[in-house]
Amino acid sequence: MTAVLEVSNLRKAFGGVVAVAGVSFEVRTGEILGIIGPNGSGKSTLFNCVLGQLQPSAGEVRIDGKLTTGMRPCDLNRLGVSRTFQLLQVFPQLSVRDNLILAGQEHQGSMASRLFGRADAGLGDAAGQMIEFFRLAHLADEPAGALSYGQQKLLDAAMAFMAGPRLVLLDEPAGGVNLTMLGNLRERLHAYHAERGATFVVIEHQMEFVMALCTRVLVLAEGRLIAEGAPQDIRRNPTVIEAYLGH
Amino acid sequence: MASFIQLLVSGLATGAIYALIAVGFTLLWQTSQTINFAQGEFVMLPAFFVLAAMNAGASFWLAALIGIALSIVILGVLFKVIIIDPMLKYGVLPLVISTIALSLFLKESVKDFYSSQAQPFPALVPAIDIHVFDAVVSTQSLAVLAVAIVTVVALNLFLNKTRVGRQMQATAQNATLARILGVSVGRMALYTFLLNAVLVAIASILVTPIYLAKFTNGETLGMAAFIAAIIGGFNQVRGAILGGVILGVLDNLSAAYISSQYRGAFPLIILIIVILLRPQGLLGRIEERSV
Amino acid sequence: MTRLAGVVVTGAALAAVVAPFFLKPFGIFLISTWVVLTIAAIGLNLTLGYAGQISLAQGAFVGIGAYTVALLTPMGVPFFAAFIVAGLLCFAIGWVLGYPALRVQHHYLAFVTLAFSTLVFLVLRNEEWLTGGIYGIAGTPRPSLFGWSLGGARDFYFLCLGVLALLSLATWWMLRSPWGRAFVALRENPIRALSLGLDTRRYTLMAFAIGSSLGGLSGALYAPLVQFIEPNSFTLNLSFNLLLMVIVGGSGYFFGPFLGALIAVLLPEWLRVTEGYYLIVYAAAVMAMMAFCPTGLLGLIERTAKMLRGRRKAAVTQALTEGAGP
Repeated sequence: MTAVLEVSNLRKAFGGVVAVAGVSFEVRTGEILGIIGPNGSGKSTLFNCVLGQLQPSAGEVRIDGKLTTGMRPCDLNRLGVSRTFQLLQVFPQLSVRDNLILAGQEHQGSMASRLFGRADAGLGDAAGQMIEFFRLAHLADEPAGALSYGQQKLLDAAMAFMAGPRLVLLDEPAGGVNLTMLGNLRERLHAYHAERGATFVVIEHQMEFVMALCTRVLVLAEGRLIAEGAPQDIRRNPTVIEAYLGH
Repeated sequence: MASFIQLLVSGLATGAIYALIAVGFTLLWQTSQTINFAQGEFVMLPAFFVLAAMNAGASFWLAALIGIALSIVILGVLFKVIIIDPMLKYGVLPLVISTIALSLFLKESVKDFYSSQAQPFPALVPAIDIHVFDAVVSTQSLAVLAVAIVTVVALNLFLNKTRVGRQMQATAQNATLARILGVSVGRMALYTFLLNAVLVAIASILVTPIYLAKFTNGETLGMAAFIAAIIGGFNQVRGAILGGVILGVLDNLSAAYISSQYRGAFPLIILIIVILLRPQGLLGRIEERSV
Repeated sequence: MTRLAGVVVTGAALAAVVAPFFLKPFGIFLISTWVVLTIAAIGLNLTLGYAGQISLAQGAFVGIGAYTVALLTPMGVPFFAAFIVAGLLCFAIGWVLGYPALRVQHHYLAFVTLAFSTLVFLVLRNEEWLTGGIYGIAGTPRPSLFGWSLGGARDFYFLCLGVLALLSLATWWMLRSPWGRAFVALRENPIRALSLGLDTRRYTLMAFAIGSSLGGLSGALYAPLVQFIEPNSFTLNLSFNLLLMVIVGGSGYFFGPFLGALIAVLLPEWLRVTEGYYLIVYAAAVMAMMAFCPTGLLGLIERTAKMLRGRRKAAVTQALTEGAGP
């Protein structure tokens, strides 16, 4: 199976502080890969380096074999890579529907065609479908800022999926979400994955969420990869347990 | 050769003044995310404090001290507390706009409430010409250079050798980390404003004898500060010093060779070139934003 | 747009159309000035209110547009051609200025436009062979449309009003299109926007270039309006004034520029530099506004309206939130 994402010897240092100390891994097509690790293990920094938010100090990132190290996030998105955010999520003043249209519009035609074309860039139906899929129909025309935190997380995921990405990176999607909403979110992610065959990479703290969702798990600690394997094995891995308890 | 030395010395003197203004500007940006568009007017104003004190009967040196003190209170404390603090929650854009409005406010206030005419301003030392290897160098330039160098050295010592100075640097580089380490970030921010007020006051006293006290001084001096800061690298104090000196020297040299009509254009062209070729400046690093 | 707002706007539009029939020539000149400045303010609103960039060169672009028309029309170029040239020229200059400046953060565009403004003034003042230097250019003719001369005060006012209407329509169309959504995204959450494939740099540059070209178009109307232009009309003061107009009116609001320009024109002695204390008061007002209400007058109005509707809305939102999820 081909690797959608290849990270080779990625390293990121901020002055004297080394956040990611040489990490390499592969993500195969159709996987749901989880990346876990205690606070400060470099998970978010790793993500940001892969996604062009930060420039790695060393190492390479390849998407479908194409070198993408340090590419701008908007260019990565055009290659079919999407992400959700831990903190910044939706556009509060736009309606839910407009948020979704925005999430897909940059993939419709050129900048010029978007100026003279339809106001919804032809995405009215697609947005409607996404709203249905994520069960947000009753909130479709509300400003996104009025939604509850959990609903915004759902919208965030929906936005990441609008452009039909092949690779989706989710940054702590479960953070701060109540149990009911969590189940809903996980179930929708599974459904999307089953339907579209996309590849997911998920950073998460919440063990249960990761174990239930992911097919393979990587464990990061102090900027290094310390373990890798199926969720059940990772749960019992002594190195992993020590990394978590030692903090 | 003689005239070159003259130009070099006067250029270094001007450059040193630009450096002081640019350093204050950079420190404010680093520590409090404040882009002070009124920095030029901050240099224009203390001279008028001094003049007012002298009009009330004070000797020059006493008036200078009063000017620095007023500067600390008004351009340091009041500026921070009344203008900057209430605005921080709105982000950088309203803050920049506010300082733009402030620059206009200060300029027009001096024009309307003091005078629109250029006022003479006493020099630090009587202007005598000294002859060095054929070149004629004015004592004024040397005095300015001396005071500016002393100030910069003192600043460096303060920032690197004292506890407060190092805390200020830590806050400038990473406020969150500094707070975790126990530094009072709010107090450091205040100190930065006070420090800027002192720097602009000194610069004012040094530069006004040459320019004469006029309400429009802020325009050129402000522009010089911004350009120097950008040349050096927006987030580097060392860069601001370097940028100021380079700008001063180049500016003075160009004055000899460019028509007076376009005299003011030279720094502006340098700015555009820097932005085109190396926007992070000579010593700056390209900044990144992580999420 | 709420129904009340719709009524107000329609009323204002009607007033704008009938006003010249009730005003003396100076009054007509004043409202023509308002129309012309609104066009420049709409451009600056695009740059500032929608793309979040500070431009201190809008006054310079007005100057470039004015001089373009003042130089071309006496040479025989039809006004409407010169008008378009002014717009295109300013668009191109805006693009060239913005391209390097917007690669960096830190509001570099503010400094670059500040420098550019000063440079333009120097060129206008020094290059006497081209611009007439400090003596300026007098007697820019007013155009005729299909043989019908628009030289009279009222006729020229209607030309300006017509141009304003057209440009407003074009701007409204742009803001309604996906570009408008992109601008909101740019303003609210540029990092998120980038991750969704939105080229923030391109959109910001586009907003600045279009905003600058609107400044040029404003200047193109300004020259035949006042019929004597000189470098002192286009200094930084004009750029500051336009900035204040956009802010006081409400930056990021479609009608902000209209309101801001109206206020600026109604305050006396606007264009010739004998303002007295007007600038001090204006500057102080802007500082106060930034501290309490950075979204300007229209923002204040919107906030008050929201507060009045607040309780009802809170109840509805609460009901929706509780009803969400499986």
